[in-house]
Amino acid sequence: MMKRMMTLTASLSLAACAGYSNINIGFDELSEAKAAIADAKAAGAERCAPKLQAQAVASLYWAGHELEESGHSDAGDHAEEEAMLVARALSKAKAAKAASKGRCMPEIIKLSGIKFPHDSARLTPAATAILDNAVKTLQKRSSIKVEVAAHTDSSGSNAYNQALSERRAASVMNYLGTHGVSSSRLTSKGYGESQPIVSNATQEGRTENRRVELRVMN
Amino acid sequence: MRITLLLLTLFAFILPAHAGMFSTIDDRANHISAQLEGNNNYHAHLARELANVAVEEKGQHDVTAALEFIRMAEAHADQAGGAK
Repeated sequence: MMKRMMTLTASLSLAACAGYSNINIGFDELSEAKAAIADAKAAGAERCAPKLQAQAVASLYWAGHELEESGHSDAGDHAEEEAMLVARALSKAKAAKAASKGRCMPEIIKLSGIKFPHDSARLTPAATAILDNAVKTLQKRSSIKVEVAAHTDSSGSNAYNQALSERRAASVMNYLGTHGVSSSRLTSKGYGESQPIVSNATQEGRTENRRVELRVMN
Repeated sequence: MRITLLLLTLFAFILPAHAGMFSTIDDRANHISAQLEGNNNYHAHLARELANVAVEEKGQHDVTAALEFIRMAEAHADQAGGAK
């Protein structure tokens, strides 16, 4: 009885500790798909066509697994599935690259709810709470660089709005930089009233246009 | 003797639990889906795609592959930055 218990214990413990090897995508059969995915990435597909690029990459890894499982042989039971997955990876990567060409807007991380006092770049407690969440997001996505972009509504002169948006963008960037985000990942830019997202004709519209957002730059 | 047996039993269950062996692939895939609701960046999409592969592999009774794909999915979900 004791011996059986010991055997069971050892088996479960070893199973828990065992690592699983990464999926092997080093097969020649995957070269074309890998090159296509790299091309698409270079064209900005992770940002501009994220779903297509993700489908391409997932298909590549799945094909790698199937190739590994079949012993890297065309005669294996998985040959048809492998071919289908490789073709899917290739076609999705090409589509991602095509979708990224020339008409790609940067990813925007919205900082909804940030309000500033009138004619001020001072951050309110409500604003800092939102920025604390943004810090967490940026710490999780540690590879991205962002531009802090601030916008105003159309009330006031262009020059005034431009200067105000620059001060507000700098204020937000300074907060992020002093709360755990490396300054090398941050830039700031004021856009004044030049990029409204809705009409400035109503109070609601002007409120929506006064905003700060993070633009992913890589 | 009894204490040794008890400790060995505890040891046998703590490590697999820590390794996530008692959460099903479907549970983990559902968690990823909920975690990334509304998030449409590259890592979020890739996490969802890999989780789908994991569920598919599990359906084909390849548990080792399913575990590897779900771990990859969770790694990308972490990079995706949560729900938006």
